[in-house]
Amino acid sequence: MAQAITDKDGVKRYLITLNVNGDAHTVLVKGNAILTNVLRDQLDLTGTKKGCELGDCGSCTVLLDGKPVDSCLVLAVEADGRQITTIEGVAANGRLDEIQQSMINHAAVQCGYCTPGMVLSAKALLTRNPNPSEQEVREAISGNLCRCTGYVHIVEAVMATAQGRVTPDDH
Amino acid sequence: MYVPDFEYHAPNTVAEACAILAELGDRATVLAGGTDVLHKMKVGKLTPEHLVSLKNLDELREIREEPGRVVIGALASHNQIYNSRLLQRRYLSLPLAAHTMASNQICNLGTVGGNIVNGVPSADLPPILIALDASIRLTSARGERTLPLEDFFYGSAQTRIEPGEILTEISIPDQQTTGSTYMKFGLRRSGALAVAAAAVSVQVSGDTLHGVRIVLASAAPTVLRVTAAERSLIGRRIDDELLTEAGNFAAQASRPRDSIRGSAEYRKNLVGVLTKRALRKAIEEGHA
Amino acid sequence: MSDNHSVIGRSVPRIDGPEKVSGAAKYTGDLKFPNMLYGKILTSPHAHARILSIDTSEAERLPGVKAVITHKDVPTLKYGLSPARWDESIFCSDKVRFVGDKVAAVACLDEDTCYKALKLIKVEYEVLPAVLDFLHAMDEGQPQVHEEYARNINTEIHQEFGDVEKALAEAHHVRTDTFVGQRTYQSPIEPHSAISMWDGGKLTIYSSTQSPHYFQHYIAREFDMPMGDVRIIKPYLGGGFGGKLEPTGLEFAGAVLAKLTGRPVRTFYDRAEMFAHNRGRHAQYMEITTGVDKNGKILAAKANFLMDGGAYTSLGIASAYYAGALLPLTYEFDNYQFDMFRVYTNLPACGAQRGHGAPQPKYAFESHLDNVAADLGIDPMDIRIINARRPNTVTPNDFRVNSCKIKECLERVRVMSDWDEKKKNLPLGRGIGVATGSFVTGAGYPIYRTDLPHAAAFIKVCEDGTAATLYTGSVDIGQGSDTVLCQMAAEAMGYRYEQMKIVAADTEITPLDFGAYASRQTYMSGAAVKQAGEEVKRQVLEMASVMLGLPAEDLDCADGQIFSKSRPGKSLSFEEVARKHFVLRGPLLGRGSYTPPKLGGNFKGAAVGTSPAYSFGAQVGEVAIDEETGEITVVGIWDVHDCGKVINPRLLHGQVHGALYMGMGEAVWEEVLFDDKGRIKNAELANYRLLTAVDMPPITSEVVDSYEPSGPWGVKEVGEGATNPTLGMFSNAIFDAMGVRVNSLPLSYEKVWRALKEKREREEDEARRKPEARRAEAPLETDGAMPVYANPS
Repeated sequence: MAQAITDKDGVKRYLITLNVNGDAHTVLVKGNAILTNVLRDQLDLTGTKKGCELGDCGSCTVLLDGKPVDSCLVLAVEADGRQITTIEGVAANGRLDEIQQSMINHAAVQCGYCTPGMVLSAKALLTRNPNPSEQEVREAISGNLCRCTGYVHIVEAVMATAQGRVTPDDH
Repeated sequence: MYVPDFEYHAPNTVAEACAILAELGDRATVLAGGTDVLHKMKVGKLTPEHLVSLKNLDELREIREEPGRVVIGALASHNQIYNSRLLQRRYLSLPLAAHTMASNQICNLGTVGGNIVNGVPSADLPPILIALDASIRLTSARGERTLPLEDFFYGSAQTRIEPGEILTEISIPDQQTTGSTYMKFGLRRSGALAVAAAAVSVQVSGDTLHGVRIVLASAAPTVLRVTAAERSLIGRRIDDELLTEAGNFAAQASRPRDSIRGSAEYRKNLVGVLTKRALRKAIEEGHA
Repeated sequence: MSDNHSVIGRSVPRIDGPEKVSGAAKYTGDLKFPNMLYGKILTSPHAHARILSIDTSEAERLPGVKAVITHKDVPTLKYGLSPARWDESIFCSDKVRFVGDKVAAVACLDEDTCYKALKLIKVEYEVLPAVLDFLHAMDEGQPQVHEEYARNINTEIHQEFGDVEKALAEAHHVRTDTFVGQRTYQSPIEPHSAISMWDGGKLTIYSSTQSPHYFQHYIAREFDMPMGDVRIIKPYLGGGFGGKLEPTGLEFAGAVLAKLTGRPVRTFYDRAEMFAHNRGRHAQYMEITTGVDKNGKILAAKANFLMDGGAYTSLGIASAYYAGALLPLTYEFDNYQFDMFRVYTNLPACGAQRGHGAPQPKYAFESHLDNVAADLGIDPMDIRIINARRPNTVTPNDFRVNSCKIKECLERVRVMSDWDEKKKNLPLGRGIGVATGSFVTGAGYPIYRTDLPHAAAFIKVCEDGTAATLYTGSVDIGQGSDTVLCQMAAEAMGYRYEQMKIVAADTEITPLDFGAYASRQTYMSGAAVKQAGEEVKRQVLEMASVMLGLPAEDLDCADGQIFSKSRPGKSLSFEEVARKHFVLRGPLLGRGSYTPPKLGGNFKGAAVGTSPAYSFGAQVGEVAIDEETGEITVVGIWDVHDCGKVINPRLLHGQVHGALYMGMGEAVWEEVLFDDKGRIKNAELANYRLLTAVDMPPITSEVVDSYEPSGPWGVKEVGEGATNPTLGMFSNAIFDAMGVRVNSLPLSYEKVWRALKEKREREEDEARRKPEARRAEAPLETDGAMPVYANPS
């Protein structure tokens, strides 16, 4: 159980450590703090988006111990000590991951609001299943709603990544 | 949105959790995957003073085979069930039901225990578990008790769990059934609650049904086993007419209401269709 | 089309791609300013109620609350997006008119405190009877939503062109059908938010807006400020589709809260509040009559519509006019009558949603046309080709159509979809349907009356020529205008896309542009950008002429290279010439602006629907129906579009996919539902049911070779036009599969099931009564839960 600190008004806060994108962040959070908000407001990682806050849209997807979850349905205290990957952790040293490059190449990005969650869902799929079928790709991203693309180019981008067809400027 | 304030507890053992719950009584809500509890708290349907998190109780995540039964820890996530080689081999219908639950993100968070304890008639796992004759173990400071899952529900969101109790495991007994399946009808193909659903298990030899269980979701205020439909099938030769007749029995026994997902009349129709189709699939394809 | 363009016509990657895929792109709700507060609006829980009292004292005492405001603290000037009806207030003072109407607001130290504070504001209401059924809103004895609008009539339209009665009297076949369209909601994935801050007398608002200019205009008007003291900035924006076209309480209340506290205030809607603010598609009752000759040629059409406007006007007057104005575009006929009432109800206000006003009337007309074709025994594809509009024609309501390849679109989609084969061979339960669509390429007139140009742009070339920045007031809401306009700028300059930068949608830095609505930016903003680019190019060639000692007319510039047309080998780089220009002549700048020509006829409402150009398209869809459940499986969709010259093919097809996706949702899955108290029953995405990736069929999108003579490089619109055919296409495919027609949207599984059940019962009944006389295959008219309708006229 995380260490708890009570302020003069009797409000209890917990000292927790979130391992985000390889960095350990020790933060003080109230019990009711939602992981999405702690990432965005306390760690300034605003790539994790708020779309519905009820687990319906997938904009807030992060990888928790490698698995995609809706961070809007996770209390920050519940993520204490766990490994979290946000969209900011997908590109290594400023170099876009193949899935990110593929999303650009295939014009799979429009307004971009669903994109971080979409990238993380696709990344998690390709990590556990490097050769998915189109149906598996569609299922893996079915928790990420996109209002712009009809998913056509997104599915193409993920399939192209899986098939090793991503080049730096494939247009 | 906003989650109202509460006191947070994260016990390290089941015994510790039971002790906390015994002390807090109905002022506490148990937090497992959070997909239902936090959702309800955000929309103002639940305002517990205390949340008792089970996150540290790793022993409740296990899925294992024991003599005479398969045991599923209550904290096993839907994806854990979906991906379990053991369950895929023994009762594939259950992993497939878990897969129809919700999005990948929710399936990584949500737990089988939460799905059961939530008690809503649209829950996807209770019907197939009841069809497989599952029982559950409830643990509290007073001790443990086991009861058939079928007896657990008695009203919409009303279950026989008592203050202080934690659902710790689900067990599926070894059985004579030759097939089982869960068939769900949703208004889109992912992340949809059931408009109606039917789970069945069958025991077939030759062209005759010797045993059958038919359990409906989203068809009444509770998960509903339709014994009248089951009786109509036992010992009879399997043909389309028989299955249609069983579907009609199930539809008659169902008590759906009008909802934003469909009228009562439509849902009754779906119950009949799904029951018939689920029976056919279980008969023809085994536990799939 | 073969051409010698080096930048346009290529699928270059989006200019904002790297920022968006890496999570670096900042949307309004991602921005943080020192000392910033959080603001939220308290809304009405009642559909119609008188406000008796408001007590904010308890909320004010809550620690962390910095300001609580009501109607007493804000300007009382009524506002709206349509200047013909300003009927909305920042906060309600006398009564509330829908569940979600604005009553008060708070500014607090954090988000949680906002929610707690809202609960502490005590409002006493006297609940009034509410108008919830638009079909009866005009009836005697109905409550008045606004006292000043008798019988709840918000808009009334009666237009006639040609002689409809005469043409109908002479027609070989006359048919009338009625259809009902549902309320849908744009549902952008990014919720609205705004951050307001004051610096002395100057107000700056960061907002998720589709039109910084209209926001600036209306906010300045509301607060009685010069426009120059209001700055609107659009950061990255997560989708709009019409829902973010007008200023909301977030901007108005946010500005007041920021003023009172002297701190920046971020106001925001959560998902349920977005649904309540709404401004989505109107529900609509549509009666269509046409008369045709024996070949199916349309002689006259009559449209008699009724629209649910909700509690306020929003852009709804335009929606009402658009509903009828765009109907005579895809098919040619001379006699046309359009009657419309838009009524007030105690429900959220409706406005402009993708395809503004057109998709539902198009659904009705395309379904009706298939019924007519069935009556005459004509193939649905053929009846459309027979009636297809030709280029260089004028519609009966005086819209001039230049380029038009609707016939080619139909012929192509016929081949692509294997129409003729499928039409003959698909079994019962499988069906194929076709429909057409058309849309404006920008509105011919601005939303409020002004003689300002519709678009403007300038380009600044970096001192050493290694980059050029396009400054434009245009608004990238995801459709890709920043990318496309940079391509157009580079093309016009003779420059490289890869060296372009863009600053857009900041009213203080970028020149005027009306923004992202009516599918106007590629054409109108593009025209201004092209002009600006050409001005840069002219100066570069003049400078190069001096440097090379060659006449400027002999020089050209493409892809960053200046070369002599007559003497190969004589060349200079854009960079060195631009640098020299800066040294000798000062900053290298280009300017452009665009004003459409005077368009349209002289009748009342003639302006709505005018456009310098119209896109056209045809869609075919194939469906499979599960007869026992009504479930619809979409087997495939084929879309062929006439959208002029294509600047970026991949982005263009992305627009078609997205428009189709929205249309598909509206056709079968999406509907905003209300309970008997006027509360939305599904104000969340789980039950509003946006389609997921597993719901989408294979989609094939093609364009026909097309050139619009009035547009820059021949461009036209695509972003909204592809929504227009989709609803009717689904209706027709289901009709083809089952022989039953569902006459109301959405064409839900349950309605399809019910229609089939009723058909079966009718057939059984008939067979029982006169088994010998049973007709085999006549398609039956059934409707899925159609409301009873009292004719408004």
